[in-house]
Amino acid sequence: MKTLRHSAALAAAITLTSGMAQAEVTLNLLLDGNADTITMMEALTAAYTAANPDVTFEMENRPGGSEGDNMVKTRLATGEAGDIIQYNSGSLFQALRPADTLADLTDLPGQANVIDSFKPVVTAPDGTVRGVPFGAAMGGGVYYNRKLYEELGLSVPKTWDEFMANNAKIKEAGKVPVATTFGDTWTSQLFVLGDFFNVQAEVPTFADDYTANKAKYANTPAAARGFQYLEDVFKAGYMNEDFGVAKFEDGMRMVATGEAAHYPMLTFAMATVKQNTPDNINDLGYFALPGPTADKNGLTVWMPSALYIPAASANVDAAKDFLNFVASVEGCQAMIGAIGATGPYLIKDCALPADVPPSVADMLPYFQTEGATAPALEFLSPIKGPALEQITVEVGSGIRPAAEATALYDQDVEKQAKQLGLPNW
Amino acid sequence: MSLRRDATRRRTIGILALLVATVVFILPFIFILFMAVKTKQEAALFLFSWPSEWHFWQNLVDVVQTRNYMLMLAYFNSIVITVGAVTLLVIFGAMVGYVLQRRPSGWNKLIYACILIGLMVPPAIVPTIWVLQAIGLFKTIHGMILIQVAYGLAFSVLLYRSFIGTIPRDLDEAAIIDGAKSWQVFFKVILPLLKPVTVTLIVVQSIAIFNDFTNPLYYLPGKENVTVQLTLFNFQSQFQSQYNLLFMNILLVTIPPLFVFIFFNRQIVAGMTSGAVKG
Repeated sequence: MKTLRHSAALAAAITLTSGMAQAEVTLNLLLDGNADTITMMEALTAAYTAANPDVTFEMENRPGGSEGDNMVKTRLATGEAGDIIQYNSGSLFQALRPADTLADLTDLPGQANVIDSFKPVVTAPDGTVRGVPFGAAMGGGVYYNRKLYEELGLSVPKTWDEFMANNAKIKEAGKVPVATTFGDTWTSQLFVLGDFFNVQAEVPTFADDYTANKAKYANTPAAARGFQYLEDVFKAGYMNEDFGVAKFEDGMRMVATGEAAHYPMLTFAMATVKQNTPDNINDLGYFALPGPTADKNGLTVWMPSALYIPAASANVDAAKDFLNFVASVEGCQAMIGAIGATGPYLIKDCALPADVPPSVADMLPYFQTEGATAPALEFLSPIKGPALEQITVEVGSGIRPAAEATALYDQDVEKQAKQLGLPNW
Repeated sequence: MSLRRDATRRRTIGILALLVATVVFILPFIFILFMAVKTKQEAALFLFSWPSEWHFWQNLVDVVQTRNYMLMLAYFNSIVITVGAVTLLVIFGAMVGYVLQRRPSGWNKLIYACILIGLMVPPAIVPTIWVLQAIGLFKTIHGMILIQVAYGLAFSVLLYRSFIGTIPRDLDEAAIIDGAKSWQVFFKVILPLLKPVTVTLIVVQSIAIFNDFTNPLYYLPGKENVTVQLTLFNFQSQFQSQYNLLFMNILLVTIPPLFVFIFFNRQIVAGMTSGAVKG
């Protein structure tokens, strides 16, 4: 027993000295496969290795979607997740059981640079911060084609009625008013999820009541409106003909080239435009999803993913130092340098370049105005029903009326809330 | 008269069958080929159309060079895993099948139940990883080979056992009378006779193992441990995909199983029918 304690002390001493001597460290990163993620990470690691030549990085890609979720959970459960993982913030982050599986980053000096509104979405139930932001915040609203708007003499709508009036004129002009792409089912949720700013403007306590099982989509008219919007757009025939099979890339192409006037989408889509239709990038504009009144219109915001350190990592200190760099202004500028500005970054004093594409410029005023943004519901409440995208596809294809869909979604949510063990369900 | 009518009817059926085969097998392959030579922009349209520009070589080079020649390493890993696992599956499958068929004993029922359990009960991932970690096989190629053997063994034992039932016992006895030792009986007499079913097993298992995606994803993490199916994620993600490179990668990944299939094609049918029917 004594020798064991001795050797343990010795081992500790060795690690300590080697830490001081800055032995060579290789940090293993687990990232999703998005090209932007990899470009950003390559820029960050290159900048960091230039300053700290003894630290090198190994990157590993993982699939996205539910397969990726399972993989990350499996790796964390078996202690094989490497030194740093990149993963969603908000409700998906909570599903990782962060208090047990991830290292505590509350005392990371770099946290002082992180904008306060980001911290809640990477905070474990015990109140400790476990991640730093990676990438730009995204807005959930509507891309529109500026050229088409100019041609038809339209102005950016502030209310849903104005939006529908614009759509009528666009349809008359022989263009597709709302590009719809149910071939990628997740794209069908935007009207519902992107409407959350308007929901909150009307019912400020919705997120809390919803988590506490006091408010439901079916009995909150403001929340049910998102489903109604989808039904209205379908009934008015404002969708493209192949809406059932079109894919996300098709939607972005249609709105960028002016085949369609609107495409409800998250702002990360700029990367796709840059790749597939680079000539049209300046034809795109952006506005928040219009609501019932013009004076209470704002943007629903999605927080970017974050970087975390698995608790089982062997190089927690080196990894922390790297994350410190990611959360600094230099780190933020390295990311902007790699992929350009797609939205505001969540680091204080990290300025965007002056020449951002118009759709990004359209989005910035929302962030600069007090109270013109609200986080999406999935960052305020851990509950998001797994079948929402299927339900919104049904509503948007005219298979199920909106009223019935809200009730069905409330049922879907119930299963998840019970699984999470929330009180009052 | 009726003979000629028969001939025309047979010809129509033949042509129809060919057409169906074209639609089911050839068209998807042509689609892959067309997508693989397009530019990024054109591939993003996702249309079944003649490519306006042929970028075959450039896409090929792009795919091969991605992430520091990851695809080459992946080919190597996949081939090692496939060859290793299939070899063990053939040898052990035949051995177990032989003993089970030739030596009736009280244990047989239990062993048979175990084999059926192996076929029917889905394996749990996290506990399996714990076992692998405990014996130091996690994240190693040979660990992956053993996993694939474990998953495939039940099927191959069943296949061999029923096929060995068709080989007369007299052959064993004749060999023993000629002075063969028991291992000689198996390796020199029985194993060569099992060729049809062995070929079937090689084709079925090697394609399954080569194309396996989920098992390497969970059991073989690490950058240096990639297999070919995992390289597809270099070009595909939920929000942004480079379809031309993705399809070029698919094309490259499809080639080895295609070769296996073409080489052994003739023997597969024979092996399937002779092995599977009799109990």
